[in-house]
Amino acid sequence: MNPLGAETRLFLRSGRNIAALLLLLVLSATAVWAGIAEVANQRAAIERVAQEQARDLAAVEDANAGPQGDAGYVAYYAFMLTQDPPPPLAFAAIGQRDLQPYLLRVRALGLEAQLYDSEAYNPELALPGVFDWAFVLIYLLPLVVIALGHDLVTGERETGRLRLLLSLPGDGLWRRRAVLRYAAVLAALVIPLLVGGAIMAAPAGGIAVLILTAVLYCAFWFGLTLLAGAAMRTSATAATAMVGCWIMLTLVLPTLGNAAIARAVPVAKGIDLTLAQREVVHRGWDIPKEQTFERFFVSHPEWRGREEFEGRFHWKWYYAMHQVGDEAVAEDAAEYRASLERREDLTRALGFVLPSVGSMNVVHRIADTDIEGQLAYRDSIAAFHARLRAFYYPYLFADRPFTRADFAMIPRYSVRTAQGSLGVWPLAILALAALLMIGLGARRVSRLGGEGSARTG
Amino acid sequence: MIAHETPPAIRIADLHHSYGAKPILKGLTLTVRHGEIYALLGGNGAGKSTTLNALLGFIAPASGTVRVCGTDPVAQPRQARAQMAYVPENVSLYDHLSARENIGYFLALAKADRGADAIDEALREVGLPADAWDKRLSGYSKGMRQKVAIALALARDVPVLLLDEPTSGLDPRAVLEFNRLLDTARARKVAVLMVTHDLVSAVDIADRIGFLADGRIEEEREALATGARFDLNALHDRYARAGVSA
Amino acid sequence: MSAATLIAREEWRLLLRNRAGLIATGLLVLLILVASFTSLERRSAIAADRDRYQTSVDRDFDAQPDRHPHRMVHYGQFVFRPIAPLAFFDAGVDGFTGNTILLEGHRQNSANFAEARQSSLLMRFGQLTPAFVLQTLAPLLLIFLGFASVARETERATLRLMLAQGIGGRSLLAGKLLGHGAIALAVGAPAFAVLIGFVITGSAAWPTIMLMIAGYAGWLLLWAFLSVVVSAFAGRPRDALAILIGLWLVMVVLLPRALPVMAAAQTPLATNIETEIALHRDLLEVGDSHDPDDPYFNDFREDVLARYGVETIEELPVQYAGLVSIEGERLTTQIYADAARRQAAREARQNGLVYRFALASPLIAIRQLSMALAGSDIAAHRDFLDQAEAFRYDFVQRLNRMQAVLIPGIEGDDPRIAAANWRTIPRFSYTRPNPYDRIGALVWPAGILLGWLIAILATAMIAARRIERSAR
Repeated sequence: MNPLGAETRLFLRSGRNIAALLLLLVLSATAVWAGIAEVANQRAAIERVAQEQARDLAAVEDANAGPQGDAGYVAYYAFMLTQDPPPPLAFAAIGQRDLQPYLLRVRALGLEAQLYDSEAYNPELALPGVFDWAFVLIYLLPLVVIALGHDLVTGERETGRLRLLLSLPGDGLWRRRAVLRYAAVLAALVIPLLVGGAIMAAPAGGIAVLILTAVLYCAFWFGLTLLAGAAMRTSATAATAMVGCWIMLTLVLPTLGNAAIARAVPVAKGIDLTLAQREVVHRGWDIPKEQTFERFFVSHPEWRGREEFEGRFHWKWYYAMHQVGDEAVAEDAAEYRASLERREDLTRALGFVLPSVGSMNVVHRIADTDIEGQLAYRDSIAAFHARLRAFYYPYLFADRPFTRADFAMIPRYSVRTAQGSLGVWPLAILALAALLMIGLGARRVSRLGGEGSARTG
Repeated sequence: MIAHETPPAIRIADLHHSYGAKPILKGLTLTVRHGEIYALLGGNGAGKSTTLNALLGFIAPASGTVRVCGTDPVAQPRQARAQMAYVPENVSLYDHLSARENIGYFLALAKADRGADAIDEALREVGLPADAWDKRLSGYSKGMRQKVAIALALARDVPVLLLDEPTSGLDPRAVLEFNRLLDTARARKVAVLMVTHDLVSAVDIADRIGFLADGRIEEEREALATGARFDLNALHDRYARAGVSA
Repeated sequence: MSAATLIAREEWRLLLRNRAGLIATGLLVLLILVASFTSLERRSAIAADRDRYQTSVDRDFDAQPDRHPHRMVHYGQFVFRPIAPLAFFDAGVDGFTGNTILLEGHRQNSANFAEARQSSLLMRFGQLTPAFVLQTLAPLLLIFLGFASVARETERATLRLMLAQGIGGRSLLAGKLLGHGAIALAVGAPAFAVLIGFVITGSAAWPTIMLMIAGYAGWLLLWAFLSVVVSAFAGRPRDALAILIGLWLVMVVLLPRALPVMAAAQTPLATNIETEIALHRDLLEVGDSHDPDDPYFNDFREDVLARYGVETIEELPVQYAGLVSIEGERLTTQIYADAARRQAAREARQNGLVYRFALASPLIAIRQLSMALAGSDIAAHRDFLDQAEAFRYDFVQRLNRMQAVLIPGIEGDDPRIAAANWRTIPRFSYTRPNPYDRIGALVWPAGILLGWLIAILATAMIAARRIERSAR
């Protein structure tokens, strides 16, 4: 029997190893299944809402369509649906999709009063965090690595086998053992992902990035475990030290980081701009209409000269007023958005230091389920809102009747393409951390035959 | 001068070694010939383990020569280790494997695949009941475990055997069986170095006994060809003094 | 001194000599203190912010010029949910719920700007509050301090030595439980001190704080006892450690995260959009106030005319449109309330499923108890929504009545009423919910924690008997 075959047999004959691997396999499979279920849930909700919405729009059409239909009423009553269906990798990394709305209806009124609306979610279910493959990767995988790897050396020492093993003429023992465990853990983690990816028809490139992240993150933990296992005297101290590392890297430091980031970057501008927008829109009723139009024409000069109307009210003024409200808070809105991006940037920076956070960033960025994905959805809503307004303005300012035929012309939101991107730097840093740990661990293990360890036994 | 002559199985000459500032070996010289059983006796801290470490190439001695079948264990660890089998003190092989599987595994590690027959032969030699061969070690007694470890060493079929306290924890009958085993090894021209503080078992089997004290061999006794091989009382006296001086 | 106290004292001495244990304990205590102070500061910043915003929007409301009341109905009022004083200790769902709502006529807006929606995914690792440290990390520390307590003695055969000296298995285990129970309480002490300090400064009531302390003491004792008992059953310390970490993983990390998946799959929530669309349909089914032939509003008109004893709408002393607004608001509010009730029921069903598993994962029990006492649980949030909704209905109807009553007396095609009227509209005053009003929300988690403690102690008795048998 060749040494690797013998090693594999030894590894697989241990009940504890099999139990740990099976546990990881089951957890990973359950997580993938849960992710698929969540994606299915969201798709079903989108489907349901799209049908309801179509019926609602038809009712608006019936109520407002006529030869002399007024676009003002249509624009007021016709909510248009926008949706952000789960991107192909969302099943593995749900990210913020449990909290962030993936459905939003907008109309041609002020966007800023509509953009931040929340969808219904149960905060208590969101509180503990989502259960998905990314969670298994970031939190649970290290524990399995620790379970399988912490006594790689200490276990041999405690049973008196270490000196026997070191006295044998063959070499590469620790490498074989570490690589075998590493490959087994990775397989248990990744196989469900591959199956899930096939079921969800996820792009191979994206799945490859997830796997690469797992490869590196897992390597980091193996290196660290090897290091601790070779440096510590007993399995218990090695396990304690490793679980200590795990607590620090996945629980304490990210939490501290979050508290620090929340403190450093306030996001109150969101509320500020909402309040300011309301003031501007409602003041519009109390100031001369020319003032509103003047401000509107700065950004929409093409309608200058069409502001005249009879009577107290005209929809063109109403929509101009709403647009002016949006424009008045544009700076606040940009600042608000910048503060969200700043938080994201700082999180990315933290990911350079903490492999747990780094891996989280990479998998959610490629899956497009992080804040950046949500901001991209908001941008697409804003762009759609601009199209919607531009569509209604000719009817309003040129007094064109809005007939039944025009209903079909109302712009529809087209789903944005998922913009998951590859975090090259975060991955590179993660690779560096993994290499460093593997290198240190391997060096520590290779010195086992040397003076220090020989004294034990 | 006599280059064609086979080198002794173990040759240690003027070996010095210290851990940190504490000198452990101070000019140890010792030779074990093929087919000879050498018992190295010494109290705690006399340097027995360090001697083994030097032979196994675990430490690079400060000065002096260590040769196993003519190879330097530090410079050529793989070649040297291929010549010797080592049985650590109180070793327990893998609990979740059977005796056969354990030996097969370690042989594979040593790249010394001798086939199933050689394993069975070794197990038979050490006297492990055949019905236990396929049972997991977790159910074995201490003596049975020791037998498996020795069977592994025998199955390696190497010219040098290093034994660390081989009889510790064995009952008298097991010690007897163990001695018989060493007899067979001797017959096969295997050189055996056993490190022990069990004077009685050393007396029973060893061809030569060396007293290790204060980092060197203070005295060596050779077994007599006839009658009582050693004068146990005199040895005991000597051993006790060595222990004190260590 | 009894054998048990002697053994307990031995555990303390061992801890004092265990450098790693001391460092870990020190770190945890430090973390509790850091969490307390940063969280306290954060809570006061949030409280100050929300207070400032509330004052500012109230002032803005008063500062609105003369207007048609219906315009004020849509200008609406922003309300900010005041953060509970104890939210510093346990932020609960506060970071996950929107904390500001625009209240306006015949619309129910969502509560927006939840912290979790404005934070990176980092927030999902947990929020640094004393509750997080006590609920998630402290059990791990207690496991590390306790996993070897009995198994160590078994492995080193000191157990047999003790038994041989006449120390019974029962007093051995009692001693270990006592020792580690005291350690657990000592670990919680800094957090308890912070809570007590909070009462002394007058920011919380004694009963609430005492219940909170009792709850967490129970939680910490649970882990200390569990460590000892598992240690007594496992032969080797490392087996005990593996089992305990496994239990922690399942009870503290895995179940709380996995159960919501089940709950969400079992009871899906309706989206706000569906609710809105359904509401519009329901309203149209009741009647269309714009349709002169609509039966519902025809009846309503007849009713109004009869009430005022007049023949036509023009003869009414009040504005008919105002009355229709009042009636419309009444109808929409009812329908909204129904929808909200249904949604709340769905959420309650989801949460109920999770609570049922508190038997398997007592973390859920301590979490619910802690949030309920801190006033940061979902019930408190829902209570805020209910208060806001009641307030919304009240002020919208006041404005509608102003329209009905005051507008007919005003000439011109742009009738407005005086700005002074806005100041007569009440402002949102939030009444903090009393946790004892929902006593059930406190009783069941406390019961589960107590049940766990009793079960562990009962298991300890079995362990004691086993140890004594092993001596024979």
